[in-house]
Amino acid sequence: MLRKNQALLYLFLFVVLLLTACTPETAGTTPSNPPPTTQQAGSSEAPSAPPKQDLVIGFEADAATMLANTDVNYVTDIQIRNIYDPLIDRDKDGALIPVLATEWKNIDPLTWEFKLREGVKFTNGEPFNAEAVKFNIDYILDEKNNSFYRSRWKDIKEVKVIDDHTVQIITVQPFPTLLLRIADDLLIMAPKHTQEVGLEKAATDPVGTGAYKFEKWTRDESLQLVANEEYWQGAPSIKKLTFKIIPEFSARLSAFLSGEIHLFKNVPVDSVDRVKNSENGKIEMVGSSRINYVALNTFYDGPLKDQRVRQAINYAIDVDELLKSVLNSYGTKMTGPLSKVNVDYTETKDYGYDPDKAIALLKEANIDPKTLKLQLDTPNGRYPMDTHVAQAIASQLQKIGITVNVQVNEWGNHLAKIRQHEMKDMFILGWGPAFDAQGTIENLFTEKAPYSGFYDKEVESMIQKALPVFDPVERKKGFDELQHKLVEEAAWVPLWQQGDLYAVDKNLQFTPRSDEKFAVFEMKWAK
Amino acid sequence: MLDYLIKRTVQVLVVLFLALTTVFFIIRLSGDPTALFLPPDAPREQLEEFRKALGFDRPLYVQYTEFITNAVQGDFGNSLRTREDALQTVLNRIPATFQLAFTALGLSLLIAIPIGINSAYKRNTLFDQTGVAFTVLGQAIPSFWLGLILIYVFAVQFKWLPTGGGGSMIHLILPALTLAAYSVARFARFTRSTMLDVLRKDYIRTAKASGIPMYKILSVYALKNTLIPIITLVALDLGVLLGGAVIVEVVFAWPGLGRLLMQSLLNRDFPVVMAGVFLIAFIYSVINFVVDVLYAYVNPQIRYK
Repeated sequence: MLRKNQALLYLFLFVVLLLTACTPETAGTTPSNPPPTTQQAGSSEAPSAPPKQDLVIGFEADAATMLANTDVNYVTDIQIRNIYDPLIDRDKDGALIPVLATEWKNIDPLTWEFKLREGVKFTNGEPFNAEAVKFNIDYILDEKNNSFYRSRWKDIKEVKVIDDHTVQIITVQPFPTLLLRIADDLLIMAPKHTQEVGLEKAATDPVGTGAYKFEKWTRDESLQLVANEEYWQGAPSIKKLTFKIIPEFSARLSAFLSGEIHLFKNVPVDSVDRVKNSENGKIEMVGSSRINYVALNTFYDGPLKDQRVRQAINYAIDVDELLKSVLNSYGTKMTGPLSKVNVDYTETKDYGYDPDKAIALLKEANIDPKTLKLQLDTPNGRYPMDTHVAQAIASQLQKIGITVNVQVNEWGNHLAKIRQHEMKDMFILGWGPAFDAQGTIENLFTEKAPYSGFYDKEVESMIQKALPVFDPVERKKGFDELQHKLVEEAAWVPLWQQGDLYAVDKNLQFTPRSDEKFAVFEMKWAK
Repeated sequence: MLDYLIKRTVQVLVVLFLALTTVFFIIRLSGDPTALFLPPDAPREQLEEFRKALGFDRPLYVQYTEFITNAVQGDFGNSLRTREDALQTVLNRIPATFQLAFTALGLSLLIAIPIGINSAYKRNTLFDQTGVAFTVLGQAIPSFWLGLILIYVFAVQFKWLPTGGGGSMIHLILPALTLAAYSVARFARFTRSTMLDVLRKDYIRTAKASGIPMYKILSVYALKNTLIPIITLVALDLGVLLGGAVIVEVVFAWPGLGRLLMQSLLNRDFPVVMAGVFLIAFIYSVINFVVDVLYAYVNPQIRYK
């Protein structure tokens, strides 16, 4: 009798367990009609629901430091950009716009002159002037400061203060992409404050000219900022801004659904419907400037050294199908090395999907696809659906007989394997923000750059020829040729421009930017 | 007794030393951290320069000797990411982790002991079986999953509690419950079996025969004797709780040591990882040390083994 009871009880518990395992949390869908009781309970007071002048952004990791121009890291940059202003920024499509610098010109190929905005003050009252610009660039260049940005700025010889609002930057050699460096890297810290309190203190007590003033930073918990009411572009509409650090995606989603955070980036495509169907959420998408691709590694002594094999792989991968079935179409297909948001983009040949051609090319190269075995490395969770994409590519190549072994790496290992040339045939990688040709082509396709896995002498000399060209028309011509050449060489398999998916509170006016930044000054609560 | 103390202290030191050595070599095997810190377009010269500045270009045994020499003096170097003192960074996280672990411990004892006692007393009744079933369940559910379910129910659906973060008692409830679930199961089952043994003892029978009310027998005479082995288990489980906090801290964005360690590992922030491992090994060893010494104090037989 007792035995029977016990067995029944276990059976019951097992069923209960199974049922709980099927809750929407694990199934990835939301109940279309939540029970009325829960709606009632959830209607009013969430424990930390802030009033509507506040904005809480959920973020995956904490900033490394509050110092500007120090840590080359999206996570740090995105947050401190609300405290510091740049000299030049990008608009939401990536075009350069003046911020603290109002105009600029080349006096000669080695000298750039910048006019600075007048009447701007740091939030501690210090005036913004040419000295401040000099201080910040010198900060990057000074070895003592160990700025991770230094290598990018090594071509700067000196910064000359001409008058209070004019500054000249002298370069060692022509530096055609200086403006892009300034836009993407340089933020202006208050020089007097930074020197007075010292770097160690300034790293936790930043002063800039930005739309928000620093209030409190609790490591790994939150960064709290308040509106700079005297901001030179006018007082921001959102008065209190908090970056809340939530490392785990599901927890971030939960925090959003419960109203604790109002905005977060990188919603996985399989969770989009949950946000869309929730009471308070909407999804915003933008074609990011970040691109994803499959590198075909020519540094590795394998079949991919042969151009025909690389072309065959290009023909055998159906990018449209991957986009549709794996990414639910959240992404924009690419055909060449640059995406359409890149200012230097030119239309190149599209390999398209043609398995027969792939087989023919392999035959031409004396390779029987049935004996061909390739390895494809992918990071796990770094790019949208990356491991799923890798599996899908493997099965597409399988269709023409190629056996693909998918190797999943933790991100740090993946990156190290690439840098140390330990990758085998193919790997998946993303690159961004990729707004200009040089930033992508120089950093990916030269011999010293390991990230595309592709190196070719002729391409290298074309790149070296194009780099120092100053005349914009000539320069564009050089990079256009390069794009065609890289496609012809089948240097890689271009996949797509990432579709950045944001979960946004329904009442928040927010337009996502292709450079992934959270410019809170541009955001507003609808009434 | 002094001999024993000295012997145990030496053992603790050996454990610490071995832990540090093992982790040092394992983490070096995981690769070079420079790639993760410098921008992807950094030229090779700068990578080399950075590697040199950090001393990663030297032979492993030189790095190891230097590391141990400094570690002995409490210097684990600066975090590669934040450039702050690694040991201090880790120490700053200890209060949050302790708060979580001890709350979970208290909570699990509060729940487990009454269940265990009642299960033993009402052996083979529905109460007992339900209790057993729940304890099995508690041990079987992975904590990250339980955490997500609790968040979904209490934070997303009912909105009674925050989904995560640190700072207040309210934030502590869900992570502490999640962390406690596993220990509740262990403690309850252990209490039950120990209590069953105790209840069979002669002195309990005598007490029953003398007409002492059952609640008094249970809560006074039997409980005291049941508690002794439970205290051992608690001491051992404290280490498990501190370690188990890693997952729970990540799920609930609790700003403790576990989360710091996890993040530092992914970032290859070696100094912080080493300082963190050292601290955990230290705490673990100290707890065991104290428990062993207490035992030896209570039971002289152990000393002479």
